[in-house]
Amino acid sequence: MKKIDEHKKIIYKIVNSYCPNREDRKDLEQEIIIHLWNSFDSYDDTYKYATWMYRIALNVAISFYRKEKKRPTKNDFSNEESIFRIEEETNEKETELDYYLKLLQGFIHNLNELNKALMLLYLEEKSYEEISEILGITKTNVATKISRIKLKLKNEFQNI
Amino acid sequence: MEAKELKKILAAYDTKLDKKLSLNVASFKNISLDKSEKNTQTILKYRIIEIVALSVFALFMGNYITSNWNQSHLAISGIIVGVFTLIALSGSIGQVVLLQQIDFAKPIVDIRKKIELVNSHGLLFLKLMFLSTPIWWSYIVVGSDSLFNIDLYSHMDADFVIKYLMVNSLLIIPLVWFLNKLTYKNLHTTWVRKTIGLFTGSKTMKALEFLKDIEEFER
Repeated sequence: MKKIDEHKKIIYKIVNSYCPNREDRKDLEQEIIIHLWNSFDSYDDTYKYATWMYRIALNVAISFYRKEKKRPTKNDFSNEESIFRIEEETNEKETELDYYLKLLQGFIHNLNELNKALMLLYLEEKSYEEISEILGITKTNVATKISRIKLKLKNEFQNI
Repeated sequence: MEAKELKKILAAYDTKLDKKLSLNVASFKNISLDKSEKNTQTILKYRIIEIVALSVFALFMGNYITSNWNQSHLAISGIIVGVFTLIALSGSIGQVVLLQQIDFAKPIVDIRKKIELVNSHGLLFLKLMFLSTPIWWSYIVVGSDSLFNIDLYSHMDADFVIKYLMVNSLLIIPLVWFLNKLTYKNLHTTWVRKTIGLFTGSKTMKALEFLKDIEEFER
């Protein structure tokens, strides 16, 4: 639980990027944690803990995202609370940063499953080497793809 | 937006999460940990049933060929059906091997490819179905002999047999070309897309589309 608590931001960001639906988010959070829990015994310490965690969380998220959508059917978890709670202040004013953050999240939502993973890792400031280890593509490919996405992002934000 | 501005936004978001995001211990403790991998287990169960059924059929065909060895038309028909059964069986065994290799702690692209190859299993059966077209009489001959003890070949006109063999041998080359086209690499071609979609359904189609995306991502 301590490890999950330490890395809760990673899971939270992945879940938010792959699931626009609030109920789906609860399911995905739980699926990621179950997979992490069950895979912990086979953790290979030649890799960083974060690398291992990203691989599992992203693989689970992509599988979840690609499953047939069954909503609005009620599922086992629908009445339970989320595992990650974020305090929302109702009187908090939306700052310019919040506005850009929403735009950025919207941009990530529109990427395909694999580019979404790449973008998340880039935004987490992972090195190209680490991104290539997590995704399983070459470092050169990581660099090329990131520069393409950055250019797309730049164009998107210029049009605002 | 420049990288510097992007980092500023993200730093602010991280600060917000550091301050406001917390683990809900009560919910965490309520998670049922044995719920995972249900989907993979279900597919594995189906593939094992497939392997058992095809193995039983392959054994039956082996026995059929041996018992009819002296009647060449029945033995040849049996061998043809047997070969197709073995191809299907090896495809199903390959699926089980792929399923055993799926480990979410491995690199994403590699795992996604394996998962989508499992999901696109329907394409193998579609190809086998088309590949059976020139030799469909083998199935009829074996079926009528095994089920009703009727040797259809002895009732066939020699002229029909020769014409059948000639027409169907001519079909082999276009058929091989056609089957080579039926891959995710050619999904951009309308007729390939429509043929696969019509015979295999949306799950296989989605898997093949994603395999194409993976290939483009790796480039």
